Amino acid sequence: MNAFNIHRAYSIARKEVMHILRDPFTLALALGLPVMLVTFFGFAIDYEVKNISLAVSDRDNGPASRRLKEVFSSSGYFHLVEPAPGEGPVAMVDSGRAAAALFIEPDFSKNIQGGGRVEAQFVLDGSDNSKAGAIIGYLPGIQRAAEAKLGAPLPREPFSVETRFLYNPELNSRWFTVPGLAAIIIGLLAIMLTALTVAREWENGSMELLLSTPVRPLEIIIGKLAPYGLLVLAGVFFVYLVSRLVLGVPFEGSHLLYLAACLLFVTAALSQGLLISVITRQQQVAMQFGMITGLLPSMLLSGFIFPVESMPPFFRYFTMLLPPRWFMAAARGITLKGADLGELAVPFLALGLLSFGMLALALIKFKTDLEP
Amino acid sequence: MKSTPVLEVKELSIKFGDFTAVDHVSFSVERGEIFGFLGANGAGKTTTIRMLCGLLVPTSGSASVGGLGFADGGRGIKKIVGYMSQKFTLYNDLTVGENLDFAAGLRKLAPAYAKKRRKELFELIGFNRPLSTMVASLPGGVKQELALAAAMLHDPEIVFLDEPTSGVSPSSRARFWSLIRKITAMGKTVIVTTHYMDEAEQCGRIALMRTGRLIALDSPEELKKAAFPGPMAELDFKGEEAGAFISGLEKAAGLLELSPHGMRWHAAFADKPAMDAALAALPPSASLSLIKPSLEDVFIRLVEGTER
Repeated sequence: MNAFNIHRAYSIARKEVMHILRDPFTLALALGLPVMLVTFFGFAIDYEVKNISLAVSDRDNGPASRRLKEVFSSSGYFHLVEPAPGEGPVAMVDSGRAAAALFIEPDFSKNIQGGGRVEAQFVLDGSDNSKAGAIIGYLPGIQRAAEAKLGAPLPREPFSVETRFLYNPELNSRWFTVPGLAAIIIGLLAIMLTALTVAREWENGSMELLLSTPVRPLEIIIGKLAPYGLLVLAGVFFVYLVSRLVLGVPFEGSHLLYLAACLLFVTAALSQGLLISVITRQQQVAMQFGMITGLLPSMLLSGFIFPVESMPPFFRYFTMLLPPRWFMAAARGITLKGADLGELAVPFLALGLLSFGMLALALIKFKTDLEP
Repeated sequence: MKSTPVLEVKELSIKFGDFTAVDHVSFSVERGEIFGFLGANGAGKTTTIRMLCGLLVPTSGSASVGGLGFADGGRGIKKIVGYMSQKFTLYNDLTVGENLDFAAGLRKLAPAYAKKRRKELFELIGFNRPLSTMVASLPGGVKQELALAAAMLHDPEIVFLDEPTSGVSPSSRARFWSLIRKITAMGKTVIVTTHYMDEAEQCGRIALMRTGRLIALDSPEELKKAAFPGPMAELDFKGEEAGAFISGLEKAAGLLELSPHGMRWHAAFADKPAMDAALAALPPSASLSLIKPSLEDVFIRLVEGTER
């Protein structure tokens, strides 16, 4: 075939490998940074709210109220704080020394013994709504535990909703976060690595020399993609090791499938970097473009933080153009649910199309003439 | 008898948007010639060379480079020419061997052939350091010679050198030019751009360019004759005040060119009588010597003179 010569692509790939090997900084960046970031943020990002300070006003001080307080403190989420004399629990919430307050009526124990309906009031600081949301989520469990412990037959509701979580029964947010985090970091790394490589050749003038030979754009692009692809996949492998061994994230699905998803995603990200590089031709500009297009959409629009389903329709459709959205879905599906290719057909198809499209775009935009 | 030119350019033009970088340039180059482009920055020298290497496709006009045109977008041309660009020579973070292997790989040279060529070229440029030498550690002149070797690895008939000696020491420049002469003695054609007048003097023919146009094309000798048909005098006032004389001389009939050269002045005249008349009132303290015009004088007269 006349359009593509593997020998020339190989020559370029070999040269890139030499560049990488001679540049310990790039090597360390590609292999070490993802691992470092995933470990660091894997520990830091935790949507579970624990150690909630609960200010208690116990005006009953009977056996039942003591047991109720025990239920809160033994849940593992709350620790009780006594308001200072002359200060109400609400004042503590106001000043931020407590996130919630519990009021127990004077006749609490007596009413329970009498078999009557008892109530306790729970006051919550709503100014941090993600925290408040998490705390509200804990209350039904607390209520069930309290009913069991206090033995008070509370009036039965006509029906009650019971939630049972599949796949991540403890709703361990780290399990959920780490695969997504890995996607973002690896995507960004891949974009940055290639965004610089073509721009560097334009900047130092070597592109002119490359183009003065019969080399074709596809050969240059493949020659540059291959070594950086391998480098990033090596980074993925280290991230995988850290996630499994250090962060204890489970891996339910097929490793081969995960590798395929990574391959598609990395290709898409590398191509995105190449596209940026080919268009900007300047390292500084390419770096800024890479940062913005690589980080923001994948953080905010990929479903990593905000669920795609709850976005306005325009953004919901817009996210379909973002490889991280599909990789996030595939990675979480494979690692947590053990999903197979049939179940992940849509993310895989989308990833495949996007990476192909991005590659084609980089190729089209790759101008071989030197027009300024 | 004239052989067919190895390079023939007819009415070649290129526009970038509204800007015409090269404007209807025509010339031809014979096999074995050292053909120089001389001109200020932005005169269109590099752009012309880039077109002839197949790096830019001309907007109009035609060129035959070793018998090939632009019908295939310049790919055919790229295979038969060697090009050394102005800015970049070799990858500093690779070794000499890796750089040359890369150049050979891009040209799809068979390893045995590439090795043989490498040996020949090392001999030509007198390079005897190990292949594992990092390019970054080489002096500028040696880098330039190696870049020339890399550009000639595929044994091209025509070699384009875009300011090959910018930024290297004078002795390295002299060495490089003796290499150019060796290459043309082997039957190759060298097309070179330069800023340096002493380098231009060494070219067989020089094309003078200004704002995209070819304003003169001939051998250095003929260029001088055409620009200065009459005598040229060098006036040395030995530090005496000569302002009045000079401003008078500027108005003299038959004066072609008057330019300061350090402490001295060069005055060119249309013919001998005009010179004798103009210099009759020369102060007795001043000395006068007849000189041959240099290419620099030609350059000033043809390129900068037309701008006044």
